[in-house]
Amino acid sequence: MVNLEDLKKEAKTVLEEGKVKYIIGYEKSANGLMPVPGFIKSPEEVEKLIWTPACVYNLTKFLVDEKRRKSREKKPDERPVGLVVKGCDSRALVVLLQEKFINRDDVFIIGVSCEETGVIDEKKLIKKLKGKKAEKIEFDEKDNFIVTTQEGKVKIAASEVLAERCLECKANSPVIYDVLLGEKAKRSVDNPFQSLEKIESLPERERWKFWKEQLSKCIRCYACRSVCPMCYCDECVADTINFAVTADTTAEEKAQKIKWLEKSPVKSENFVYHLVRAIHLAGRCIDCGECERVCPLDIPIRFLNKKLEKDAKELFDYEAGFDPEQPSLVSSFKDEDPEDFIR
Amino acid sequence: MEKVLDKKSFPQWVKKLSSYTVYAPVQEDEVWNYEVITNPEQVNLDFPNTVLSPKKIIFPQREVYLEFSASNEDGLEVKEVLPEEEPSVIFGVRPCDARALTLTDKVFGGDFEDIYYWKRRNQVALVGLACHTPPSPNCFCLSVDGSPFSKEGLDVLMSDLGSKYFVEAFSKKGEQLINPAKTLFKPPTEKDKKELDKNRTEAKKRISRQIQNIKKIPPKLKGMFDSSLWDEESMSCLRCGICTYLCPTCHCFDINDEIFSSSPLSGKRIRTWDNCQFPDFTMHSSGHNPRQGKASRLRQRIMHKFQYFVERYKNYQCTGCGRCISRCPVGIDIIEVLDKVSSYEG
Ligand code: SF4
Ligand code: SF4
Ligand code: SF4
Repeated sequence: MVNLEDLKKEAKTVLEEGKVKYIIGYEKSANGLMPVPGFIKSPEEVEKLIWTPACVYNLTKFLVDEKRRKSREKKPDERPVGLVVKGCDSRALVVLLQEKFINRDDVFIIGVSCEETGVIDEKKLIKKLKGKKAEKIEFDEKDNFIVTTQEGKVKIAASEVLAERCLECKANSPVIYDVLLGEKAKRSVDNPFQSLEKIESLPERERWKFWKEQLSKCIRCYACRSVCPMCYCDECVADTINFAVTADTTAEEKAQKIKWLEKSPVKSENFVYHLVRAIHLAGRCIDCGECERVCPLDIPIRFLNKKLEKDAKELFDYEAGFDPEQPSLVSSFKDEDPEDFIR
Repeated sequence: MEKVLDKKSFPQWVKKLSSYTVYAPVQEDEVWNYEVITNPEQVNLDFPNTVLSPKKIIFPQREVYLEFSASNEDGLEVKEVLPEEEPSVIFGVRPCDARALTLTDKVFGGDFEDIYYWKRRNQVALVGLACHTPPSPNCFCLSVDGSPFSKEGLDVLMSDLGSKYFVEAFSKKGEQLINPAKTLFKPPTEKDKKELDKNRTEAKKRISRQIQNIKKIPPKLKGMFDSSLWDEESMSCLRCGICTYLCPTCHCFDINDEIFSSSPLSGKRIRTWDNCQFPDFTMHSSGHNPRQGKASRLRQRIMHKFQYFVERYKNYQCTGCGRCISRCPVGIDIIEVLDKVSSYEG
């Protein structure tokens, strides 16, 4: 079990030694169960750090902000940023390193191991508690969580409220780190693509219907894109500003720029958005599940990415986020790669 | 008009409204939203906060302004498109969401009336449901001049009295909803009225969240345009559009020509919701963006709601529904931000 005091101690040490600019971790929020991302700038602030089964966020996304901020500073502080990562989050870091979006010395990695458990799906917990408001949640050995409500403490089987991605986790402890808290461990997962079975078994027509219904709900708030650590492009086809304008760009050129998708939240445009996103994440998504978590309409977006993850594994024996040195899926080929789709 | 209605008779009332398009909260998976109802028995008024407010019916996310085509020799043919005028009624409107419509009324009304908005607005009757217990843990209507029993903007307000509803109609539109089903309604007894009063007082006590010193905030904000608070508070912001798209009072929109065929040319001019949290919201065609970072966008959201709007319309542009708090993927909490504004020194 990760000891919070150890986490604070490590964080305090690196801040005191001036090894890092600041640390991105989890902080208690003023209201309720879920934490908030915390930006810890001084050794005193380390007390704010927490580590609970509600620490779901993949904080690597904030490295994208940090990089942008740094690029604008005249004399940037070159020290690394401290970053608290879980196993899945650390795999996102590996992809960012592999793609050279960040350098290894941009970040001081404080790994926390989920050991044989994981983090919660808040919606599952709310359902489970049937109206009682959870104020606090703690780890309790590997199989349970302890939840405090106004009516006292209850023990809940972890398996009932764990996030879907945790039930299929491929790396319960960080695969890359500077310091590691907790044990290297792994919960056994029989089938990491189990969640896909139901939808894969549907006939094509039914699947089409499913996605038509689901994606028609999308309001294009772009939260799924905004939260994804892999969605770091400066310009995204989903935005209306997806081309560089210079002083010489004529009005005509601007008018004739291709608009890949319209702003109307209708089926056709929503499909373009989601398919572009899914394809751009093939061989990159590490299944942190954040996109699905944040969707206000509860659209099961994770299935799309999970399916591509499965294809990458089955067709190319490729798994993202384990080795920063491995060539990326879409920019490399092997002789034995399947090619039966080329006709 | 004050009446009581047996809960058992409620579906019958809805049945009598067959000349209306009826909307009510519907649950799909874990998500509640207002949808068109075909079966009156389906109306379930035991629901938490909906994801989107009834704003989405009156000011839909996508609205066609006009259709154009260059199919003949005479040049471009342009056809105006207006929303169909059909009477509709929305059941289960929360008081905060109804108040929100009184705010969008100001924006889409006044000197320039937005015909698209008003065509729908004039046709829709709002039947509210008072909140005995707050439908969201982040409700804070009391802090922004609202209340769980507020009737502002509503045509009818229903309040739960256990086995029956206390039904009040405040407008002609409201009375017209009750008239076709007159026999189902009874006059309230003194006991009903007393119970209603008691419920009203108790409901207020159940609202646990509040903004400190709200009155001080608009003048305070005036001097905070360049404050470093915006940088601090927006550190974790992801730049997604949840807070604004789900807000019942946000009303910004964009207009685009969507081309379906380039030769012969045809397409539609379409208005869609826009979002001040998106980077392209303020992008100039020159490529310059006056609101560069996310701090300036958080500032805009707060300033618009608690300073500019107050200055212009004498109301906060926020009715305390709590959606932006509950749904923010990283827990940015407008109450906390405002409390920090109150206590900010520097
Ligand atoms: S997916 Fe794995 S590493 Fe990530 S939170 Fe769940 S158990 Fe931990
Ligand atoms: S988060 Fe959900 S609603 Fe928002 S763009 Fe993504 S899928 Fe659509
Ligand atoms: S696509 Fe979703 S699950 Fe995959 S890395 Fe991005 S946010 Fe995480």
